[in-house]
Amino acid sequence: MPKPEFIYVTYIETTPEKLWQALTDGDFTERYWFGVRLRSDWKPGSTFEMVRTDGSVSDAGKVVECDPPRRLAYTFVNLSEKFKDDLPALATFVIEPYGKLVKLTLTHEGFADGSKFFQGISKGWPAILSGLKSLLETGQPLEIPYAALKFEEK
Amino acid sequence: MSKPEFVYVTYIETTPEKLWHALTDGDFTERYWFGHRVISDWQVGSAYTFATPDHSVEGTVLISDPPKQLAYTWDTCSPDTHPERPSRVTFDIEPRGKVVKLTVTHNNLDEGGKTFRNISGGWPIVIAGLKSLLETGRELVIDPPSAAQKEKTDA
Repeated sequence: MPKPEFIYVTYIETTPEKLWQALTDGDFTERYWFGVRLRSDWKPGSTFEMVRTDGSVSDAGKVVECDPPRRLAYTFVNLSEKFKDDLPALATFVIEPYGKLVKLTLTHEGFADGSKFFQGISKGWPAILSGLKSLLETGQPLEIPYAALKFEEK
Repeated sequence: MSKPEFVYVTYIETTPEKLWHALTDGDFTERYWFGHRVISDWQVGSAYTFATPDHSVEGTVLISDPPKQLAYTWDTCSPDTHPERPSRVTFDIEPRGKVVKLTVTHNNLDEGGKTFRNISGGWPIVIAGLKSLLETGRELVIDPPSAAQKEKTDA
């Protein structure tokens, strides 16, 4: 039985440095990540947190790898009760120059079997990364309604 | 044992009608689909072809429900993948507020076949180009680094 794993590849008209900043700077993530600010000093072993607009922390984990502007990896798990049985899975971002574009590959792995969190992130990442691409290319965030993700909870 | 299936979701700032046009109009596909012009009357049961001078894909239209759902069979016509059966591509177009959700599902693929490997690499590039063209009005310059890097390595 294969372990649940989520892989998403996209190509963005930007530079590796700008993409790195877009993935690590809370002021920037807030604009495309449904209002979430990422908070970390981005040193391996340091704390990594997703901070909602009201200041509360939705997800937390640790920085595993930080090699700007090429590789970034961190674990995180959602702190809400319904994901309490989930393991902190590992998200790895690989940034590669591709001619005049940049190729971004996200691999998210290490989920528990039957993970509910896996279902959530499988819906969330395409929306977040679509918004990231639009913001870097057009300067404008995408207006994806959060409800469009149809997460099961309410 | 589950069959290989490729699913890719993206969100595009456009309308369902413009996205439908972008998927079915040869003048438009040529601008983001590795230069391929698609030709079909888009009636269910009709043939379609995607062609450049050195490569083509063809098949039969299975579902044509503008601007919501389009599906066709996919035969790469390549000696490389020849013993493989034609696979199936489905595009689902759903409005989500001010943006459109596009889901591309490519299934009926042969286990361990070359088609699965090829399309898994190809769709993210095609869809990235489609999204950029619809949102910015400009083509993405798809210029794989492999050739230049290879020259460096060989030198």
